[in-house]
Amino acid sequence: MHWPTIENYAGDWYNKGVLILDPFLNFSFINYPSFWVILLVFFIAVFYLGRFWQSRESRLQLLIDEANLKTQQIQELEKVNRELEVKNRELYSKELGLTLANKKLQTLEEAKSKFISVTTHQLRTPLAAIKWTLDMTAKGQLGPVNDDQKKFLLQGLTSTNRVISIVNDLLKVDSIDADQADYNFAPTDLVKLISNLIFEFNSQAALKKINFVFLKPQTAVPLVEIDADKIRMVVENLINNAVKYTPENGQVTVKISDEQLNRAEGSLVVSVTDSGIGIPASETDKIFHKFFRASNAIKAEPDGSGLGLFIARDIIEKHGGAIWFENQSGSGPQGTVFSFTLPLHQKKV
Amino acid sequence: MDNTEPKKILIVEDDEFLRSLNAKRLETEGFKVSVAVDGQSALDLIPKELPDLIFLDLLLPGVDGFEVLKKIKADEKTKAIPVIVFSNLGQKEDIEKAHNLGAQDFLVKANFTLDDVVLKIKEVLK
Repeated sequence: MHWPTIENYAGDWYNKGVLILDPFLNFSFINYPSFWVILLVFFIAVFYLGRFWQSRESRLQLLIDEANLKTQQIQELEKVNRELEVKNRELYSKELGLTLANKKLQTLEEAKSKFISVTTHQLRTPLAAIKWTLDMTAKGQLGPVNDDQKKFLLQGLTSTNRVISIVNDLLKVDSIDADQADYNFAPTDLVKLISNLIFEFNSQAALKKINFVFLKPQTAVPLVEIDADKIRMVVENLINNAVKYTPENGQVTVKISDEQLNRAEGSLVVSVTDSGIGIPASETDKIFHKFFRASNAIKAEPDGSGLGLFIARDIIEKHGGAIWFENQSGSGPQGTVFSFTLPLHQKKV
Repeated sequence: MDNTEPKKILIVEDDEFLRSLNAKRLETEGFKVSVAVDGQSALDLIPKELPDLIFLDLLLPGVDGFEVLKKIKADEKTKAIPVIVFSNLGQKEDIEKAHNLGAQDFLVKANFTLDDVVLKIKEVLK
């Protein structure tokens, strides 16, 4: 058996000074080519194993990232959910608030109706008692009274009547809350309605020697679709004001005019002209305001609610008409003209 | 009213003072006045007394005026008796309701004197 020695195996490599490890150090296997092949395979294996490891790690990292993302998304969703819940709760509380507000309004409405019935009954009952007592006493129906006493009693009666008319006005304001839908529109003979009112005011006007005139068109006036009770209230108020604020021997004219009848939206115009105290120029823009009374009107007639014209405008506007006034110009007595229009037909709302 | 039997008038009114003033005024006018202080006593009294005219308040303790009016008009014996509603209500709905139930007239107390009331009665009884 011949074992290769370092000398005869390496041959001349040995002599050329190539490193050859001493076989006695037992590293002689490096001289076998198969060793290098194995080493190469080993390194390749290590390399690939490393890469495999790395890719496994990165895949794991990816999974972790993904999981993190999911968690984040879930958290965000949860946040959105919570926000939604808050919004929902807010909405619910708002809805609850609205329901409560609605209930409150209903209660207020009921309270108002109750207030009205209480006002009507509670105020009018004692007022009627005072009125009747003063009236009967002044007329001597409860025993004889002298002229002085009678004068005082009648003054008391006048004051009582003023309070009653203010209470009545306050109750009319309530009718303002009525929607147009609550109005009873029906074809009405306006000439007849106003004629009746003129008849009622005749004695009052005659007492002040007022020349009280009713002018109407020559031709027949067509029926007009109105709530007769409400329009009556308006005309009554205008005539009442005219007579009240016109001095003795004055002039009050009520006129129905059909000059706007042939326009596209045919309407009648009603005007009430007086030769009264007029309305101060500085106060003209407030005359239809609630509770407003012109300074000269207060001086002439201390009591009054300041509601008549306010109510009148509301009623006319709910009929689709307009109401306005003009101060009479010129050197003569001042006076005022109140006019309003009434369309012949009501538009369905 | 000289030789004829005095006309009988029933006042249904819960307010004592108004009731007595009204009764006094109508008595001086020669009417025979009876009074009821609430709806039930009015319903008890009307078929017995058969008044010629009834003055009816609407807001009454217990049975209210509308109910009384309904019963008067439902009873053959009493339905011809004219009823004047004399109340301090006076909103349109009240007036309409009273008219629909058969009231002859509707007067708001505070808006009339008792002289007006006497005139009204004479007009109705004519």
